[in-house]
Amino acid sequence: MKKEKIILSFIATLFGLLVAGVAFYLFQSTKTISNSNTKTISFVSPSPSPMPSIFLTLDRPKDEEVVNSKILLVSGKTSSNAVVIVITDSLDDVMTPSSNGDFSTTVNLDEGQNILEITSIAPNGESITKKRTVTYSQEEF
Amino acid sequence: MLKKSLIFLLTVNCLMLSVVSIAHAATPTPTPVDKIQEIRDQLITNIASRVAALKLVEKRGIIGIVTDVTNTQIVVTDLQNNTRFIDVDELTKFSNPDFKETYGISDITKNTTIGVLGLYNKESRRILARFVNVVTIPFIIHGGVANIDSENFSLNITTEEGKQMIVDIENITRTSSYTQEEGYVRSGFSKIKENYNIIVRGALDIKDKNRMTATRIIFFPEIPASPKINSMLEHTKK
Repeated sequence: MKKEKIILSFIATLFGLLVAGVAFYLFQSTKTISNSNTKTISFVSPSPSPMPSIFLTLDRPKDEEVVNSKILLVSGKTSSNAVVIVITDSLDDVMTPSSNGDFSTTVNLDEGQNILEITSIAPNGESITKKRTVTYSQEEF
Repeated sequence: MLKKSLIFLLTVNCLMLSVVSIAHAATPTPTPVDKIQEIRDQLITNIASRVAALKLVEKRGIIGIVTDVTNTQIVVTDLQNNTRFIDVDELTKFSNPDFKETYGISDITKNTTIGVLGLYNKESRRILARFVNVVTIPFIIHGGVANIDSENFSLNITTEEGKQMIVDIENITRTSSYTQEEGYVRSGFSKIKENYNIIVRGALDIKDKNRMTATRIIFFPEIPASPKINSMLEHTKK
């Protein structure tokens, strides 16, 4: 008797699930979206910005460097036809790099933190700037 | 039975004695040579740990704008827009050129620009400050000359970021130019023309963020303003 009851309830559950599934399928198939309500979105990949015609790499000084000499060497590499400007707290220095793009100059540092701004400008006006903080201190700690 | 137990006890005793003698032989009394070796090893270990500590810490100097300050720590945003944590202890010295009396951490407020010199720990990425001083960052702009106001001795400069800046020329302004032929020479306001590539260093106007007073100017008669600036200028003219 008990076994019959269990089988019957199992069959009833299965039947219920089947009916619910069919009903859900029918409901979903009736849902249609008209063409007027749809929007076509096309993803356009952004056009890459043109690569700058100029580059600037600094060999010296390192950013946040602490030195105990008042005279500091600034050196690096850039486009050979560029103009390099080194701006310090006290003065500016303008130079043209060598045929292979190397440049170097010395600057005088003030006591404490000095901000060095090194800019390279190409003949067409494009430029690139790098900043360095260099501290001149003779304090021992 | 008694005999057997006696033999057993004797055997065990002999074995114990032999073990003790072997152990004694393994740990001989240290000779002077061994002691020197021991000291040398200790020294090498000490030096190695000291070298490792020195490599982990280095002197560094930074400039930043204070974003948060407590009794033991200052948080700043450095020139590269990175957040930096600075530890302060009883050995840290504070100074402010505009402050004649003693200056301390309690005098540092948010938005103050400070220079920090201290020991940077590469592992924790924190700086243990030894010297903290209030500094002024110079304002430098690089762009193209958009307009010249000869009556008021001012220039309108457009930067690559599209920023417009009115630059006032004062008596203190040192103007220079650079050409391939003449090199870097002293020049004057009257030599500046529209569309020249120009770099201006000076101080921002406290009341007007789009105005500055120039202390140094370098302009480049042979180099036009950047193509980006040119297109912006053409767009504004249209």
